[in-house]
Amino acid sequence: MLLVALACLVFQLRLPGRLASEADYRTVAGWLRAEVRPGDAVLLFPWWSERARLYLPPELPVYGYLGSDKDDLSAHPRVWVLGQPELPRAGEADFRAAFLPRRNAVGASRRAGNLELTLYENGRYRPRRFVASEAYAKARVYLESPDGTRRDCPFDGRVHRCPGPPHLYVAPEWHELNSEPRHCLWMHAPGGTQRLVAEFDGVPAGTELRLEGGLIFEYASHHDARLSTTYYGVEDVARREPLLEIAQPPGLEGVQKASRALPPGEPRTVKVWVRAENPDRRQVCLDVFALGDGAVVSREGT
Amino acid sequence: MTAGRAPTRDERWLALGLWVLGFVALWATEAAVGFTRDESVYFYAGEGYARWFQQLFREPARALTDAAIVRAWDYNHEHPALMKELFGLSHLLFHDTLGWLRPAAAFRLPAFALSALVPALTFLLGSAVYGRTVGLFAALSFLLIPRQYFNAELACFDMPIAAMWLLVVYAFWRALEDRNWGVLCGVFFGLALCTKHNALFLPFILAPFALWRAWTSTVDRPDARVWLWRVLGLFAAVAVLYGLLVVSLGPEGFQRKFFLLSPHTLLFGVLAVGALGMLHLLNEVHPPSALALLPMATMAVFGPVIFYLHWPYLWHAPVERTAWYLNFHATHNHYTWFYLGKLLREPPFPLEYVVVKTALTVPTSLFVPMVTGWLVLAGRAVLSLFERTRTRVRAPSLAESLVGLNAVAAILIISHPQVPHFGGVKHWLPSMPFLGILAGVAVTRGCEALVEWLRVRWPRLPLAAVAAPVFALLMLPALIGLVRVFPYGTSYYSELAGGVPGAASLGMQRQFWSSNVTAVLPWINEHAPRNARVFLHEVNGLSFRDYQRNGMLRGDLQPGGPSDSDIAAYQYHQEFREHELNVWQAYGTRTPVTGLYLDETPQVIVYQRRRDMTRRVGGGP
Repeated sequence: MLLVALACLVFQLRLPGRLASEADYRTVAGWLRAEVRPGDAVLLFPWWSERARLYLPPELPVYGYLGSDKDDLSAHPRVWVLGQPELPRAGEADFRAAFLPRRNAVGASRRAGNLELTLYENGRYRPRRFVASEAYAKARVYLESPDGTRRDCPFDGRVHRCPGPPHLYVAPEWHELNSEPRHCLWMHAPGGTQRLVAEFDGVPAGTELRLEGGLIFEYASHHDARLSTTYYGVEDVARREPLLEIAQPPGLEGVQKASRALPPGEPRTVKVWVRAENPDRRQVCLDVFALGDGAVVSREGT
Repeated sequence: MTAGRAPTRDERWLALGLWVLGFVALWATEAAVGFTRDESVYFYAGEGYARWFQQLFREPARALTDAAIVRAWDYNHEHPALMKELFGLSHLLFHDTLGWLRPAAAFRLPAFALSALVPALTFLLGSAVYGRTVGLFAALSFLLIPRQYFNAELACFDMPIAAMWLLVVYAFWRALEDRNWGVLCGVFFGLALCTKHNALFLPFILAPFALWRAWTSTVDRPDARVWLWRVLGLFAAVAVLYGLLVVSLGPEGFQRKFFLLSPHTLLFGVLAVGALGMLHLLNEVHPPSALALLPMATMAVFGPVIFYLHWPYLWHAPVERTAWYLNFHATHNHYTWFYLGKLLREPPFPLEYVVVKTALTVPTSLFVPMVTGWLVLAGRAVLSLFERTRTRVRAPSLAESLVGLNAVAAILIISHPQVPHFGGVKHWLPSMPFLGILAGVAVTRGCEALVEWLRVRWPRLPLAAVAAPVFALLMLPALIGLVRVFPYGTSYYSELAGGVPGAASLGMQRQFWSSNVTAVLPWINEHAPRNARVFLHEVNGLSFRDYQRNGMLRGDLQPGGPSDSDIAAYQYHQEFREHELNVWQAYGTRTPVTGLYLDETPQVIVYQRRRDMTRRVGGGP
């Protein structure tokens, strides 16, 4: 017991010396301001150490959420890891095991007090040729019945607002999908057999088409019998061909993903759609990407 | 020691000193502690109840009508009223009438008094069962546990019920040697029922001890054994008859036909008169067995009567409203809770949750002695069951068994996978004083062994010369942890967890109950525009008002939501990340302006709306 007490005392006395100071953060922020390139991102380790957000340049994307160690961060050719390995139970080995595959450090780590900053070339980078949430303003949005009739959701400069309840609109928003902050297209299922559709032109061929989405907040976890499976997908307008589809039953949490290769050819017009028989708590946030070849672009980015 | 014993004069003085020390410490530090979500509800309820008491003096006939009672007492009728009555009357006296205290301190004063009772009673029980050194360790360490100190500050029910539970057990134990305490045990049990529903479990924990004591004391007294059977027969007969009533009338019919003049009431009358009468006769035949059974009789009789009398809300519709109250807690909803990287949303919850949470939230230098003390006691109990090993150990006495069972009773109850698991450690606080006593046993036995060893060289070495530094060493890490985390008690994690940052990495609930917001109120007061709307997230409307009327938040500020506010103070909950992202979306920024970062862990994160982002009233995009 005395040894335990001594160990506890040592822990308590050492703890303040294992924390980062404001000056440490300011030093790191200075380094980043001077050295970041467009497309760079910061990853926090441990994932919860978000105090850094107070100091880092606001335009720099900062990732830190439960599970972010494993995030491909595929939008970013380079990732700055801002770590605090001295923190109790920081779990550096687990972090490295999740983060390091297909990533290489560029230069040595730098330390500012207990903060450690390391730049990595991100081998998981996939350049975005198309991002639905960025192209949303040019989309044609409408509610579509099974017989093909449409009711338009006109764009008011900020959102595509549909007739009906106020949650029926399409716009990019920040939402949480199973702890992960996502800037994605809000597309609440309209209910019944109707689909909420956003139609996009110019989706490049010769890419990987990827659909990622889910139910926001806690709604995915609900599994009452009266809740409906949510369907969302992408289809080719000209060919009337389903390209991607996800069925998310009640109780299935997390970001759902589907992808396929688009063969070379002309850019396509695609419909991104969502539906659920019972719209209650079917609050979908999704995005569609056309991804280029990561290996080539990764070299371009370094 | 098997029978109870009265404290010595010195022990009384020490207990009083511990009570005063606890009371003063809590009072002196309360101003920094924020108002938890429940606390402001109880403030509000207490004020309403106090107003009814004023009406009772002014116009008693009108105050006693059901309409007036419902008007005053319907609010927060999911909890019995005793503590809220005390909070409200204390506020009425010390703030409204005398003007001596700020509103929150006046509300909280009765909570300090009851919380401070825990160290005092722990000392008395520990001291009598195991010796003064044990009692002192248990008493001094109790409020050093940061989450316990935090809960002791609040005008809530969790620490008061821990005090009441301990008081009932102490009275039960004293009743083994003193009839007056047998009566008091019933009174205290009634008051415990009036404090919180946890008390409903007490008879099931204490009855086996009463029966065992009565059984073993009548082994050589067949005449007394006959009376014992009669008393038990009466309890059993009443239970069976009540059961028959439920079966024959159905649960709803049983409730509907429960009048003042009904078989239900008659049965209770028979139980009360019969049990007390039989015990009176048994006392003439064999006082020890009557003493053993007296607490059960007084608990059965006084408990329901005191419960009914203390709560005006029950006076006109006792059965219906008590049934609603019991049903509310039997079917309590579940709040999401972050535990080891997972969001627990609904049962079944992990069986080990309570033990793990205790291990991670009690300072490790105190938790290890608790576990050691309990395991040694349990080991002695197990070994004493078998003939081969019985001679090697001293079987636990009745009092030790009482302490040992109460040390895990609340923990076992909450561990049931279907029981709601939110609320951190506060739901099993009644176990903690008893675990503290067992910790004191483990530490004191260690000190005694060390002294024996040292006396080879220093024969006159007193126990205190070793115990004092050992106590200090064991309690110092807890004290440092308490000071580091105060007043953000729901955020504390032990050395075993790796402190607050270690617990964040483990994926534990970072805080709850909203009180940590006090850390950012000064910044908000300084930076919020005049008449600004402020989104304080988990802080409910009543707490918002309480921060204002206690001078902690500017009076011109208005409560708002993410979309219509100028400043937002998001309180980090894993289950509420969406709320923070709503702020990002509405404010047009992901960069906080300030916050509470306890040992680096985000607790409260403050955002300020970008000037080019207009407020929207009514939500939506």
